Amino acid sequence: MKSPVFANLRGVVRIVVRGKSIELLVNELTKKEMQVWDLKPLPDGTMEMNIQLADFFKLRPLLKRTGCRISVKRRSGIPFMMFRLWKRKWFVFGFALFIGVVLALSSLVWDIEVEGNGKIPKEDILLAARSEGVYPFQWIYRLPRQDELSKDLARKLPGVSWVGVSRTGTRITIQIVEASKPKEQELMNPRSFVSTSDAVVTRIYVERGQPEVKKNDRVRKGQILISGEQGGKTIVAKGEVRGTVWHEYNIEIPLLRKQKVYTGEKKERGYLYFGKTAVQLTGYGKVEFEKSNTLTKLDPLTWRSFKLPIGWMSEEIMETTFIELAISEEKAKNDGIEAAKRDIMAKYGTNSVVLSQKILHEKTENGKVYMKVHFEVDQDIAKELPIVQ
Amino acid sequence: MSRFVRKFRKWTVEALDLPGDLVFNLPRLTLIGGKQLYIENHRGVVFFSPEQLQLELSHGSLEVEGSGLVIKEILPQEIVIEGRIVGIKYRGTEE
Repeated sequence: MKSPVFANLRGVVRIVVRGKSIELLVNELTKKEMQVWDLKPLPDGTMEMNIQLADFFKLRPLLKRTGCRISVKRRSGIPFMMFRLWKRKWFVFGFALFIGVVLALSSLVWDIEVEGNGKIPKEDILLAARSEGVYPFQWIYRLPRQDELSKDLARKLPGVSWVGVSRTGTRITIQIVEASKPKEQELMNPRSFVSTSDAVVTRIYVERGQPEVKKNDRVRKGQILISGEQGGKTIVAKGEVRGTVWHEYNIEIPLLRKQKVYTGEKKERGYLYFGKTAVQLTGYGKVEFEKSNTLTKLDPLTWRSFKLPIGWMSEEIMETTFIELAISEEKAKNDGIEAAKRDIMAKYGTNSVVLSQKILHEKTENGKVYMKVHFEVDQDIAKELPIVQ
Repeated sequence: MSRFVRKFRKWTVEALDLPGDLVFNLPRLTLIGGKQLYIENHRGVVFFSPEQLQLELSHGSLEVEGSGLVIKEILPQEIVIEGRIVGIKYRGTEE
């Protein structure tokens, strides 16, 4: 049977043959090995048939001999399609151009991402990548091979232990693992440690230097605890010394306490703001509060995570008043001691431990409690003293 | 074809039990249902209308009757007919 694919490739003409001796023409055609197929006689004595486009042009002498006439009914196949396309060549050209542009644009590097860099600036990595031929608007097919690229980049970037380059579509991702460097040691002057105050040593730990005191030794303020002079040389002493120190506090606490409270009365104002200019829209009128607190809230218009400089500002003016609270003597004493403990923590370090406390003296006078309290604190007593040569 | 050759061929066909279409160029018809008809070893179309097709054969003629007949393909030796085939008349003139 005929293959319609090949016939279409070469072009097929459907013709209608008129005349008396159509059969003769068909016989002549087959004898000349000109292929005809799908012959269909029509009731009016004509006959429809398919013929190859190449054979169509050789029909003329045969038609003359057999006295037949033909008319073309339909054309199909690639040659005719090409002809029709040629009539719309600018459309075809535009289509091809479109495909070409899409292909060209998708074979460019559009974006380079750097991941995993902490200390090395992104610009340095991009610069190194550029010298290897990786930069935006580079042709993808001109990129070096990815394993070689990784190797070369790792060699070019100092302080990097691994570089991985991967491409997804038009985006190149450079992944970096930075080499972790040992911490740089601070340069320090030779020093000793001296006591910050009179104390009894409870713990001494020396990393470097000559210990001058022992546990349970009594030390004076300014006495050397760990010496930085060892064997005629000066070194940087290092260590920790803790001791028990006595602190005396004179505390006074009023028995009446003033406190600011809200009365519950409030007034609201609404503003529309543009940049630094605000226009009041609601809440006109005088504020009749003697004392008040104002709470301002900005509610800018946002688009995704981007805040626009336009928005609504609301102000709440809340009336406040002072009330006086009477507290008991016991509570006043406790509060005073707690405040003193907090003061110790702030002054001598948070690792200080209050070992014991003793109220030496207390009296209540003029609505105040006066106290003298003695604290025994275990704290860091070492202080750095540079050795001047 | 001389008489002697023809006789010799006839003898070989009978002696070796060969199919006649190969040796004598006799027509060979293959009918598939009432729809398709293959004819090999024809000698051209004599008459063709939707109801009737007359073919010339090497010895005699063939008449195919039906409705909506179409020559699907025609080659120098072979012809394929499609349509509703209701009758085939074979008029042989060979001895």
